[in-house]
Amino acid sequence: MTSHDSGHEVIRIDHLVKVFKNKHKSVTAVDDVSFSVARGEIFGLLGPNGAGKSTLIRILTTLLSPTSGTAVLDQYDIIKQPEKVRSIIGVCPQNSTLDMELTAYDNLDFYGKLVDVPEDILDKRIWELLEMTGLSDRAYMRAGTFSGGMRRKLEIVRAFIHRPLILFLDEPTIGLDPEARREVWQQIEELNREETTIILTTHYMEEAEKLCNRIAFIDRGRLIALDTLENLKKMVPEGDLITIGLDATDDRILPLIRANPLVSAAEINNSVLTLSAKEGSRVLPALVTLIEQYSLPMNSISIHSPSLEDIFIYLTGSALGADSGDAGGVKGGRRFP
Amino acid sequence: MIRGALAIFNRDFKKFLSNPFVVIMTLMMPIMYLVIFGNAMGGTISHIPVAVVQEGPPYTPTTLFTDMSYELNHITQKDDPKLIDVRSYNDETAAKEDLTKGRVSAVVVVPSDISNDHAVRLYVDSSDSVTPALVESAVMKVLAKLHADNPVIVNKIYGDIKYIQFFGVGVIMMAIFTSTMFGGGIALIRDREAGIHEGYLVTPVQRTSIIAGIISSGTIRAFIAGFAIFFIDILITGIVIYSIEQFLLAMLVILIACVGVTSLVVSFASRFSAQQEYASVVAFLNLVLFMTSGAFYPVIGMPDWLRWVTVINPEYYGVDALRGIILRGQGIDVIGIDLVALLLFSGAMFILGIATYRRTLE
Repeated sequence: MTSHDSGHEVIRIDHLVKVFKNKHKSVTAVDDVSFSVARGEIFGLLGPNGAGKSTLIRILTTLLSPTSGTAVLDQYDIIKQPEKVRSIIGVCPQNSTLDMELTAYDNLDFYGKLVDVPEDILDKRIWELLEMTGLSDRAYMRAGTFSGGMRRKLEIVRAFIHRPLILFLDEPTIGLDPEARREVWQQIEELNREETTIILTTHYMEEAEKLCNRIAFIDRGRLIALDTLENLKKMVPEGDLITIGLDATDDRILPLIRANPLVSAAEINNSVLTLSAKEGSRVLPALVTLIEQYSLPMNSISIHSPSLEDIFIYLTGSALGADSGDAGGVKGGRRFP
Repeated sequence: MIRGALAIFNRDFKKFLSNPFVVIMTLMMPIMYLVIFGNAMGGTISHIPVAVVQEGPPYTPTTLFTDMSYELNHITQKDDPKLIDVRSYNDETAAKEDLTKGRVSAVVVVPSDISNDHAVRLYVDSSDSVTPALVESAVMKVLAKLHADNPVIVNKIYGDIKYIQFFGVGVIMMAIFTSTMFGGGIALIRDREAGIHEGYLVTPVQRTSIIAGIISSGTIRAFIAGFAIFFIDILITGIVIYSIEQFLLAMLVILIACVGVTSLVVSFASRFSAQQEYASVVAFLNLVLFMTSGAFYPVIGMPDWLRWVTVINPEYYGVDALRGIILRGQGIDVIGIDLVALLLFSGAMFILGIATYRRTLE
């Protein structure tokens, strides 16, 4: 992770609200969100499906107008100067917007012209981008014949054909295999070195952990937390998370575990003992001894420092994989990966 | 098997009902057929403007002239509208001039007392498929009523024009319109259906550019269709193009008509989000505009309320201008007004298209 903290704001979002109304009900997709993004940052927007990330991105990219509040990109107001805003941004939307009937080259050529890449460098730029995606030998094949991963990569490079000041990537690696995902990450980091500010939405933890300087948690339209990964980690009870799978449980052990001064919290759910402790590796031997005293068979033990997902669950009570809105919908298997 | 069929039926019917627009259009089509087709084709022709002029010299009106003018002006039909509106002229040349400009449908020249053959000469606009016969029989009837035995010499000023030639010119406009069902603004709607418009709406491209680009592309597609039919008309219907100027002028009219018709459909496409809606509206417009364009049947035969549609119908101006050039050999001086109307119409539709185009996803 590199830090470009030059102190200049490139995006300032000011009490943004978006309410979708229809006959039956109104839904607040973005609920009074304010924050700023520094120039040169890779900024992550995290939240479950339906949290309002894409709506927020669409407002910032002038596709939707906010119900109230506003935002300024560089020096341009999204409501008053949408044309100016469009000229400094690059966007890779969540859903594919490639023209499947056009070839890879023509897709890039079309956008190059729309975003005003000078005619004399456009061809060179297109080949550069095709090279980057490994699609040079398929330049003249229709996008419709490509695999999901190829399409996604093509769409991402299309978003920055004009080297925009701010690049919005809405779930850029969704549906990509691990190899392709790593390639995309590399591209994003490379672009960031060229001083492009990148706003990224994702619900992949490792993606945010690997790439983002700062991370904003969004849940049900609200901004829940915003900080660097290190600072976010400090928000959950200190220490490591220990998970022990048991075949049988005994209620008597819980008070004994909690008595340990290093343990800050402990509970048993569905025969799974979870606890957080300051120095997990030092607590573990005592813990195992205790469990063996009560002859409770163990089937798994894991110890790890809290991940973004743990932080998110701690803050919202629901997992990122769950849809926003079904409160407490913690999927057992995903809780402590 | 029944369950599967029911499931398919249910799904399809739900979709049908959830789109009231298409439901209404489905019903409107046959109703419009009834109303427009019925009225446009079967309407009673009335108020045909006919010039009646006394042959000279001497220019003193003969009894025959006075009687004929009166009788022609008072031919009534079953449900009463007058068949002919007589306009008296003093000057044969002026009357014929008005005939070539389309201000009157026929000229009746009444012989002077000193005429050799006492023939009544009738000049008719033969580019019109219906009125010449009506005027001719009216003249015959009046002469019989007046017990005059003057022979009638009919002069078709544009020669013999077959119905296929009359109709063929109208089909050029139809070809233009039909091509817009698949061309025109449909690309905009397909983008919306596939969601790929989201990609280019975030670029700095302007609404004006989007609409202008779509209209240009649609115009060329429509032009190819229109030109193909024009060419086929020349090959099979036997219309004759006498000069390169006439040919180029016809091309120009086809091109401008394409701009007008394409702008019209694009102004609809700029708002619609489903191909089905677009297709039903375009099919509907195609019907209304083609029926009232005068391609089948002269506009003069339509009831007044339907004739108002022709005033804002780009196809009417297109058909009128093309007939002027191809069948009557008229020049820009006569058909210029049609071109102006087409251009005004195109401009208005272009602006409407830009105004209704949504630059956001809402």
